[in-house]
Amino acid sequence: MSPIDYSRRVFCGQLTSADTGREVLLAGWVDAFRDHGGLLFIHLRDRSGIVQVVFSPEIGSTAVCQQAASLRAEYCIAVSGEVKPRLPGTENDHISTGTIEVMVKELAVLSESDALPFPISEKAMVAGAPSASLDHVTEDLRLQHRYLDLRRPSMRDHLIARHRIFQCARQFLDSRGFVEIETPMLTMSTPEGARDYLVPSRVHPGKFYALPQSPQLFKQLLMIGGMERYFQLARCFRDEDLRPNRQPEFTQIDIEASFIDEEFIYEMIEELAVRMFAVGGIELPRPFPRMTYAEAMDTTGSDRPDLRFGMRFVDVTDLFSQTQYSIFRQILQRGGRIKGINVQGQSDRLSKNVLQNEYAKEIVPSFGAKGMTWMRAEKGQLASNVVQFFSRGEQEALRARFGVADGDVLILIADPSHAVVTSALGQLRLHLANRLGLIPAGRFCPVWVTEFPLFEATEEGGVTSSHHPFTAPDRTDFDPRNVEELLALRSRAYDLVVNGEELGGGSIRINRRDLQRKIFDALGLSEEETMNRFGFFLRAFDFGAPPHGGLALGMDRTVSMILQTPSIREVIAFPKNRSAGCPLTGAPSTVKREQLAELGLLNLGGTDKLAGADTAENRVDHLSWVSRIGIAAGERAMMEEVLDQAEALASIATENAGKEEPIWGVVPVANRTRPGTRAQRSPLAETGQLLKSAPAVKGSYFKVASILE
Amino acid sequence: MDSICHYRNSEPAASGDGPLRGLRVALQPNFSVAGWPAEAGSKALAQFTALEDATIVRRLRRAGAVLWGSTRMSEFGFGLRGSQAGGALLERAADVELVLDLMGESRAAASRAGVCGFKPSYGLVSRCGLVDLIPSMECCGLLSRSLAQIREILKVVAGPDEGDFSLPDEKAPDFSSQAIDPSRIRIGVLREAREALSAGAQASLQASVDELARAGFSMVEVSLPEHGLFPVVHRIAGSVEASSCAGRYDSVRYGARAPGGKNWNGMYIRTRGAAFGALLKSYLIQGAFFQFDRYGAFEDACRIRARLVAGMERLAAEADFLLLPAVDGAAPEAPATLAETYAQFAPTLFANVTGQPALFLPARPGAPGAGFQLAGPRRSDPRLIALGEHVLKGRKGGGQ
Repeated sequence: MSPIDYSRRVFCGQLTSADTGREVLLAGWVDAFRDHGGLLFIHLRDRSGIVQVVFSPEIGSTAVCQQAASLRAEYCIAVSGEVKPRLPGTENDHISTGTIEVMVKELAVLSESDALPFPISEKAMVAGAPSASLDHVTEDLRLQHRYLDLRRPSMRDHLIARHRIFQCARQFLDSRGFVEIETPMLTMSTPEGARDYLVPSRVHPGKFYALPQSPQLFKQLLMIGGMERYFQLARCFRDEDLRPNRQPEFTQIDIEASFIDEEFIYEMIEELAVRMFAVGGIELPRPFPRMTYAEAMDTTGSDRPDLRFGMRFVDVTDLFSQTQYSIFRQILQRGGRIKGINVQGQSDRLSKNVLQNEYAKEIVPSFGAKGMTWMRAEKGQLASNVVQFFSRGEQEALRARFGVADGDVLILIADPSHAVVTSALGQLRLHLANRLGLIPAGRFCPVWVTEFPLFEATEEGGVTSSHHPFTAPDRTDFDPRNVEELLALRSRAYDLVVNGEELGGGSIRINRRDLQRKIFDALGLSEEETMNRFGFFLRAFDFGAPPHGGLALGMDRTVSMILQTPSIREVIAFPKNRSAGCPLTGAPSTVKREQLAELGLLNLGGTDKLAGADTAENRVDHLSWVSRIGIAAGERAMMEEVLDQAEALASIATENAGKEEPIWGVVPVANRTRPGTRAQRSPLAETGQLLKSAPAVKGSYFKVASILE
Repeated sequence: MDSICHYRNSEPAASGDGPLRGLRVALQPNFSVAGWPAEAGSKALAQFTALEDATIVRRLRRAGAVLWGSTRMSEFGFGLRGSQAGGALLERAADVELVLDLMGESRAAASRAGVCGFKPSYGLVSRCGLVDLIPSMECCGLLSRSLAQIREILKVVAGPDEGDFSLPDEKAPDFSSQAIDPSRIRIGVLREAREALSAGAQASLQASVDELARAGFSMVEVSLPEHGLFPVVHRIAGSVEASSCAGRYDSVRYGARAPGGKNWNGMYIRTRGAAFGALLKSYLIQGAFFQFDRYGAFEDACRIRARLVAGMERLAAEADFLLLPAVDGAAPEAPATLAETYAQFAPTLFANVTGQPALFLPARPGAPGAGFQLAGPRRSDPRLIALGEHVLKGRKGGGQ
């Protein structure tokens, strides 16, 4: 091929039948190929899409056709040739260019590819053929070769859509007068409540920067600095416990504005969300409904209510004030509550066996409640194992309160603790909705959750901030020493929740010194302590801080929701895996000793115990954990005693051990399968008998608790 | 009878016609009998029903034995706390009892019931279908008033079993009855074992030495200076094996699951915390200590075990059999702690460490103490039983 003039290059995915007859230069990767004996078809892929190129001895030279025969998947090539319409009946509806093909005259192999660790091609070459699937490829293998994974059209589409959503947000915020300002990555620890990622300072040995958990303090300082409206697509870092859908670093749209109130935030963020979701073709209905924290907890048991389906809680405590049913009576005597949900029309799918043996015995206890009461409505009656204990009046009142119709299933949870009732019922609501398929696909239900409690009670009888200590309270005339009054305070915080997921949250902040001091007072922090921890920040409030507030939206989660991907890793170019590692680079990794020495980290802490630092883990706790055996408080002394003896035995064994080879048994055989015998399936497995003694079974499987939290 | 019984067979009929026809056998609920509860004395196996017969049970049935039922047992057969082993013999409800011997339980139960108790050589009898705890040490012990019955049973049950992955393929020795010539047999008294006894127990040991001497055996004193290390080795290696074995009790395939575990680990910790009794739990935690924190000490214990096995084999050049005490009267009767349990079994656990056969014989009527142990080298089981039969026959003859 003559020297390639890339300025003439056109994009595969942009060719149409209008280009028929045109001579084009294409460059990209061999997505797939079909050899029809002398005639070679190739799917050529670049970022824009795929077009079929054809090597035919009638068009290309013998040399070109021979070279083409050596092409393999993911070779990087350039071709030039003429665009031709495909013969009728050979069109391919899998690709946008399926009505045309390019007859190749010249070919250049720009770079060859090894055999692939997993298939990249997603588009079948023949109309109606199934597309390739990655189902059997482990995610770690994809992450290890992420550069190949990104060549797949679906990953490419995700990243491009992410870019579109980010662009949409930038343009919108710019149009509303927001200025994009970067805040530092190497900074002080901020009070977000998670663990910091620390970066050692070489210049200041023994001192550390923290990577930001969020730009919280800086964005408030920007308001005090008079910037009035700020935003940033900020990278944040949190060293939190591993969860399936969580990344140690993530991106949020961070927003702060001065001289505003909640209504400003609601209006602007709703508009922003509507535009971002529209990129994915999703229409969000405005205005977003609002729900107080108390209402969300009372009716869904969650501060992240999923409003795509019903089953809101109904309080029936009052209906049982005179009940003869002893379980309810005892719970009510202890000041308890009874709440329930109506699973409408599902009685066919919730058999007595499922309700009693799965839900009442297994699932609901795992949600923290002691049990549940169920009733199925059939033939105008309530039927269940306990309904005989309810009076006629109670049954009638239940039917009326829940609006029961035949085929409905009522589920009640009663407990002395209201928190247990709502928490268990909330988890049950989600469990049932998922199991019964009650969540409509393609539905998006945003909601603002407001009026969170400002404080939570601590075990020591004090209070701690629910959000952070700079959140404004709903009123300022409280007594900072009156815990009861403090716990009744509402905050001016708000969360944006969509489909049961928190996409973001924020608050109106405190801008007055006296109020901030009162909050610290309530938290039991002395003037000195607060100055030590937040001195630089609080000092700024001495110079005319404007009223301000803001919000941050988790963008990985938002984009994942808009694109409806199974995990947020599908919308991040180079994510960490579930163990917070990077299979591609191998991070985190060990480092050279010299590097540690240079950073002054070698003797940090040393073998000396740090004053005030926790000593090593208790040995009973450690052994209890590694052997997964719970030790009750009353048993600890016995375990400690045995371990003291074990230490002594270990010393005796070590002192008396000679040079003999250790033996693990007295006959010269280890557990083994005899030669000539083969492992075989037990007939007891075939008949299902093996499941007979299992405490929990689902179908032909043993059932266990969830493996991840 | 209920106080003894864990499970009572409602159809105790012989199913086979063989050499054991009509012999009534009681066992413990850690031996699998298809359809019987096999809870092995532990909540970790609550409600567990055996699906198949253990190899030994199958062989017993085929030979015509009648399975009477199972006796109450300690947790996984470790020690005798809560055990009714020997009770079915005392009540004359069974002729023979099978009792798992981890550290001497079958011999101690025989001593309690005043009957003969035999722990065979390690590797002689299949453990396939047994709920095990210390695989390298435990054996199926046999209790009976008659050593002939024990011999007949071993004839039927001893020998290779494809189902037991740890069993050597050694052919079982010949269990036909054989004559004993006392003048050609030296019986050793282990000095260190004698010296470890309290004064009262030494006196009863001396009475059995005298009995054997009068029967014409040549009695010699032998010595194994490291005898005191037997309990150390047993306790370290045994607890590691137990901790490893007990890993299977996860409330997934069997057992009762404790509620409230939020995830897999929570399920394990709660369930296993509720499943095991305090004594066994302390043993398992000790085993975890040696597995996870002091593995080197476990290896050292296994080195010492090699030396002890070799040491006992060397004594065979000086004495054909050993006479040993069976119980130390000073040890606690119903131990509640690990240290007390090991004190109780100090005289018997050597045979579990070395895998040699050991026979408990009740004392001659009128003699002090409950009885004594005779032990021989591994696979000397038929001669050891013949020796016991000879001693018992001598008593019947009323010679002395």
